[in-house]
Amino acid sequence: MSDTFSYLLMAWLDPGLLGLTALGVLAGIYVGAIPGLSVTMAVSILISFTFSWEINNALALMVGIYVGGVYGGSRTAILLNIPGAPSAVTTAFDGYPLALKGEAGKAIGLSTVMSVIGGLIGVLVLALTAPHLADLALQFAPRDYFLIAVMGLLLVSSLSGKSLARGIFSVALGATIGLVGMDMVTAQPRLTMGSMELLGGIHYVVVMIGLFGVAEAFYQLHNMAKVPVKQNVDKIVPPLNMVLKFLPLSIRTSIIGVVVGALPGTGGDIASLFAYDHAKRSVKNPEVPFGEGAYEGLVAPESANNAAVGGAYVPMLTLGMPGDAVTAVMIGALVIHGLNPGPMLMIETPYMFWFTVGNLALANIFLLFFGLTGIKLFTKIVEVPKAIMIPLILVLCVVGTYSLNSSMTEVYWMLGFGILGYWLKMFGFQMGPIILGVILGPLLDESYRQAMSSVGDSSVDFLLGLVVNPLSLVLTSVIVLVLLGNTPLKGWLYSRFKRR
Amino acid sequence: MTKPLFTQLAIAIGSIAVAGGAFADYPERNIQGTIQWGAGGATDNVVRSLTPHVEEVLDTTIVLTNRAGGTGVIGMNHVMRQRPDGYNLLFGAENPQLYPLMGLAEFTYDDMHPINIIGQGLVVIATHPESEFDTFAELLEYAHENPGELKMGGTGAGGLPSTIHAMINSVDDLDVRTVTFGGDGPGVTALLGEHIDFMPLSLSAVAEQIRAGRLKGLAVLGSEELADLPGVPPITDAIPELESFLPWGPFWGVFVHEDTPDDVKATLEDAYEQAVASDGFQEFLTNFGGESLNLNGEEAQQYLDNWQSVTAWSMFEADAVEKSPEELGIPRP
Repeated sequence: MSDTFSYLLMAWLDPGLLGLTALGVLAGIYVGAIPGLSVTMAVSILISFTFSWEINNALALMVGIYVGGVYGGSRTAILLNIPGAPSAVTTAFDGYPLALKGEAGKAIGLSTVMSVIGGLIGVLVLALTAPHLADLALQFAPRDYFLIAVMGLLLVSSLSGKSLARGIFSVALGATIGLVGMDMVTAQPRLTMGSMELLGGIHYVVVMIGLFGVAEAFYQLHNMAKVPVKQNVDKIVPPLNMVLKFLPLSIRTSIIGVVVGALPGTGGDIASLFAYDHAKRSVKNPEVPFGEGAYEGLVAPESANNAAVGGAYVPMLTLGMPGDAVTAVMIGALVIHGLNPGPMLMIETPYMFWFTVGNLALANIFLLFFGLTGIKLFTKIVEVPKAIMIPLILVLCVVGTYSLNSSMTEVYWMLGFGILGYWLKMFGFQMGPIILGVILGPLLDESYRQAMSSVGDSSVDFLLGLVVNPLSLVLTSVIVLVLLGNTPLKGWLYSRFKRR
Repeated sequence: MTKPLFTQLAIAIGSIAVAGGAFADYPERNIQGTIQWGAGGATDNVVRSLTPHVEEVLDTTIVLTNRAGGTGVIGMNHVMRQRPDGYNLLFGAENPQLYPLMGLAEFTYDDMHPINIIGQGLVVIATHPESEFDTFAELLEYAHENPGELKMGGTGAGGLPSTIHAMINSVDDLDVRTVTFGGDGPGVTALLGEHIDFMPLSLSAVAEQIRAGRLKGLAVLGSEELADLPGVPPITDAIPELESFLPWGPFWGVFVHEDTPDDVKATLEDAYEQAVASDGFQEFLTNFGGESLNLNGEEAQQYLDNWQSVTAWSMFEADAVEKSPEELGIPRP
């Protein structure tokens, strides 16, 4: 027990580790805030950079960047309506309207506190239930991932705004974009029109930067004359009663985040979408409607995506399997440093688990500190004249896209999606469902085909599987209930029951 | 009159010195390295472990970029289009040797110059501990009696499991359902959850799982048992005819543009030979479940040709591809 405590506090007591974690968090916030600069990329660069370091130092820096980076995506989402990362897409829905009302400071303050709460809940779940949660995650068969993807499709109703038809169109468009590239099973080119550059598919961050960054910049050209709102920066730290009021929602969405994060096939991006949907369904009467600056719409995704960090570490530390792209790179770092990431990691190097838990907790404390300072300076971004801001955004979008894979083709695609997104915006389409489609399309495709080939391509066995396995049955029931609850069938069933 | 002559002479001598110096001092700036697979994968791990040792020898920085996608086509295509000055390296795995056969691209490693074939991965056929099979022979017998019933994890056409499946099918008959995953990682996860029955995997992906008893090995792809995996029989115990294909494994290599100047090629070959042989890297490779090759020049070319011919022909004979290797000029092994 005393060993556990000493491992847990390792990062807290060593000045070097303390400093590296702090540096990582600070750097991560900026990496996360710039669309296109991703945590995965930053961590892979660090592997070469920290090759000769001691492993703990390298890990402390990486953990810091990871925690800071996941949070950082919300900054630009709130201030500019441009999410820095896919997991912050839903943060922009209510964060940006708040910035337009002059409440950017308050929004950033609230999202910081909720990110930290989510992050700490993620760490707590990791510390207390890691082996059990990992076993649960392994229970998810391809069939169950398919059901999760279908459940994800149902989120369209929460993300479409006023027109559901437009939302469904957008999801289909996004799913089609997500299918471009080499077919996973046959290795045949799909929708690539003979282009070699498209064999690898269209990276969803490219789509995101185009649809949110460039399209938003073009759209803002309509309001060139509008004077930017003066930001109120007096109350940045949210009052205690406000935090307490949203705490139950934060805890619920954090649980969603940590579980979705622990599943090796899904990560923070899907978690934040589910969390936003959950907030919209469970909070019946927000003070301000969702999409117009509801605080609940900020609390849910921000809690969930930071909780997903703790979740992603669950399969990594217990089984040596990555929970997401960042932990995949970290496993590589452990291998290169001569450790053996696998089920024996916790037995042979027990300090590694508790050191990581302690370090993650520490990173979240630093996040609270760095997240709440410097906001005043950040909110000035919104007050910068459009004539300066819009060209800057466009440059950042190009740089961010190019840095993804150093590919000019992707820059052209990004600009193309920017123009497409601008037109769609003009005709009242929402960008959220397109991203939903891009994320879910490949998951649907992959999991459906895996599930079908597992049962020897028999549709009967496939459908039977959805209700026979207990886990699948739970997921199927949720889908059926959501479908019934959202269609006219609900009223019909309700009246039937009443008559009896 | 003499003055302009001197000037011209000086310019001529100066430019010769500059031109000569450009090669003599190689490398005089950072080298760009393109990894044709994503961050965190096997190729990425090997390259990122090796690079610091090479940087030490060459006294320069190698900037690594992952350009993944299209089974490595995108990364390779990028390096082939750069200037042939030795400042662009490609780090790749075995896949390009099959591009024309799979119809993915026209080029193979024959269109580049191999600097070093670093090493090759050992391959294990693994299952979960609850499986009723203890050896591959038992599994094969069951599959003969119940064709199309067992579920094999795969990574798509041209991936390691599909190649091994083809090799087996060119001499035996293994009729199974193939469930395709995005890579070794998701496949191992599905195997841990018992959603598939077995999967051929690189040792680096499963060694730890087997050591911990979370997975068990049915066979190693080789003609002898491995010291690291006692008790896992060689695949030739189950199918002796596979002997002719062995030794076989997925490999990792460093390549440059074909037209790179010879002295630059020599400098790189020398540097990589030293780096791969270094104790630090050898220790990593053993720990990683790989076998060191450290081949360059004629030996590297021979290895590449042999790998291509063995793999292409076994895939063709197992009906895994439609194109005949003969049409593509790949000789029979």
